[in-house]
Amino acid sequence: MMQEDKPSPRADLWSGLAWIVLGLAIAWGGWTMDRLAYLNVSFYTIPGLVPMLLGFAIAFMGAVLLLRAVRAGALAPAATGGPVRLADHWRILTMLPLCLIFAVGLLGQGVVFWLAAALFIAAFVFIFEYQDRRAAGQRLRGAVVAVAYGVIVGLTIQYVFEDLFLLRLP
Amino acid sequence: MFDGLFAFGHAIAGMLSPMTILYALGATLIGLVIGALPGLTATMGVALMTTLTLKMTPNEAILVLICTYIGAIYGGSRSAILLNIPGTPASAASCLDGHALAKQGLAGRAMGIATSGSVVGTWIGMLCLALFTPVLGEMALKFGAYEFFWLAVFGVVISGNLTGTDPLKGWIAGFLGLFIAAIGQEGMYAYDRFTFGIHDLSGGIGLIPALVGAFGFAEVLTVMKDPPRKYIINTFDRVIPRIRDVLQYWRTVIRSGLIGTFMGIVPGVGEDVAAWSSYAAARRASKEKEKFGKGSVEGLMAAETGDNACIPGAVIPVLTLAVPGSAPAAVLLAAMLIHGVRPGPLIMIENPGFVYDVVAMMLIASFGILFYGLTLTKLLVKILLVPRTLIMPLIFVLCAVGAFAIASRMFDVYVMLGFGVIGFLLRLFNYPVAPLVLGIVLGDILDKNLRRGLVLSDGDLTPFITRPISAVMLAAILFIILMNVPPFRRRFDAASAAVKLRLRQLFGRTA
Repeated sequence: MMQEDKPSPRADLWSGLAWIVLGLAIAWGGWTMDRLAYLNVSFYTIPGLVPMLLGFAIAFMGAVLLLRAVRAGALAPAATGGPVRLADHWRILTMLPLCLIFAVGLLGQGVVFWLAAALFIAAFVFIFEYQDRRAAGQRLRGAVVAVAYGVIVGLTIQYVFEDLFLLRLP
Repeated sequence: MFDGLFAFGHAIAGMLSPMTILYALGATLIGLVIGALPGLTATMGVALMTTLTLKMTPNEAILVLICTYIGAIYGGSRSAILLNIPGTPASAASCLDGHALAKQGLAGRAMGIATSGSVVGTWIGMLCLALFTPVLGEMALKFGAYEFFWLAVFGVVISGNLTGTDPLKGWIAGFLGLFIAAIGQEGMYAYDRFTFGIHDLSGGIGLIPALVGAFGFAEVLTVMKDPPRKYIINTFDRVIPRIRDVLQYWRTVIRSGLIGTFMGIVPGVGEDVAAWSSYAAARRASKEKEKFGKGSVEGLMAAETGDNACIPGAVIPVLTLAVPGSAPAAVLLAAMLIHGVRPGPLIMIENPGFVYDVVAMMLIASFGILFYGLTLTKLLVKILLVPRTLIMPLIFVLCAVGAFAIASRMFDVYVMLGFGVIGFLLRLFNYPVAPLVLGIVLGDILDKNLRRGLVLSDGDLTPFITRPISAVMLAAILFIILMNVPPFRRRFDAASAAVKLRLRQLFGRTA
């Protein structure tokens, strides 16, 4: 199998802790869930039974992960770092808000679909090609290409989904 | 036997209309392009295409999705050979020998081997699908609540064990999926669980929006987080597959086809494990072990036969148990339900013709990849060079559209976004996503059947461990878990070595 970048023991420690908290929260949610006593429901069929068991299982596996991380040196002073350093990744920090603005701020908010898609795609292409375009002295050309590509793709998707396949678009 | 052949012939005849062939060719091409582009997976392709099939007839829709699925798994070999980047995870094994052949100036031959391996692999899997589905369907009729409960647990455990590099993380992802399936109205009393007063959550988390998020948006985030790489494409020779390659390695082809199909049948394991298992088995049995990894025709043939044979294999449990054998098969299962097809133990009674329709669809798709394998090489190379800054925003827009179009509600777009971020974080922390998906599919089966079983036995746990099929599945689950506990594994390895030695002594052979 392809080898992936392994997260550090410290990252596993934190994720183990997160699973314990989540698992216990799920188990608590299952335990406190209505047992439908007014319907004379048997304990074996109460709605919270399965979430309770799943919550305990997740918490247990989180604890095993945490213990394994501790044994691997997660608490050692040198065990810092790991794969999650989002501050170093301007790409992801730019992309997430861009996608959220499109999916939450534009779609379903009264903006016609092709225009929303064109705005998102043009912004995406312009931002992520900016460095290369600037280096090549083609900033204006980059903007024109981004806008043209966005409009063409937006209109094409609208045509294919709405007119060709008769589907509703947001 | 003859009933099956007759039904298959009927299915083929029913699909030979110009429109159906057009759909098949179009879907195979789309699948091929999706598979060839690094970062876009078969699961994402099938999930996005599900949207486009909503207004089609059930058979047309499933044909389109199967062609996309087969096209995507085959398409992954193109970037594996030409760029040394697997187009889909299923093609990772093909990189080793495929790209080595390309570096020797034999990229065309490598693509020909990939084409012939994929086609023959699909045929072997298809044959197994036609032969084993009725048998497994009959066996599935013996499944009661206890067996279905253990099947759900087994699926998550085996998927978690085989799909990632860390079984514990795979199991956590799988159990998270089981919990996600518990959100919304439960099936016995229509009681809202974990909905926090959000009306849209009452219907539960839609599988398609979740899959589009976990495999589409998460892929977009994963691909875009790193700076772009420059691709170098080697020149290539003729791409026409050679029959000689198949005939010369016929044992490898058949072995890989059977391994691939078996891996497909195992719930939630999928094409990448099938390809690696076939590759490893071919290497063990090969007379030319030293060539593996350096441009072995046999190695590439094994990997490509294995991953494509896995597709029909993954559809077998979909049809007989309503349990997917791989992540794209989970989408296929969801699409079948959307189109009113009810897969499960009763399919051979209620709708036996559908099984042979699926076999016919696989055959048509295999001809599709053969057609494109011979004709579209140069165009695909050009597609591989399209910058990802142009492809990824388009994919994200399609993810939003795909999530919305299933039920025409914005809530599903938000589910897609949520699962995209969850999928991205899981990958970042080395958690496999396939068990999560399988968990979401199996959650309802586990929930209903555990509670049904407990009611039937009045709280007695004995039937869960004493009924024959339940006992076998429980033993398998415990064995898989214990094999990941180092002291048990050491003892097991020592014991099995001692047994092997004893057997050799008994039969008078020396090591």
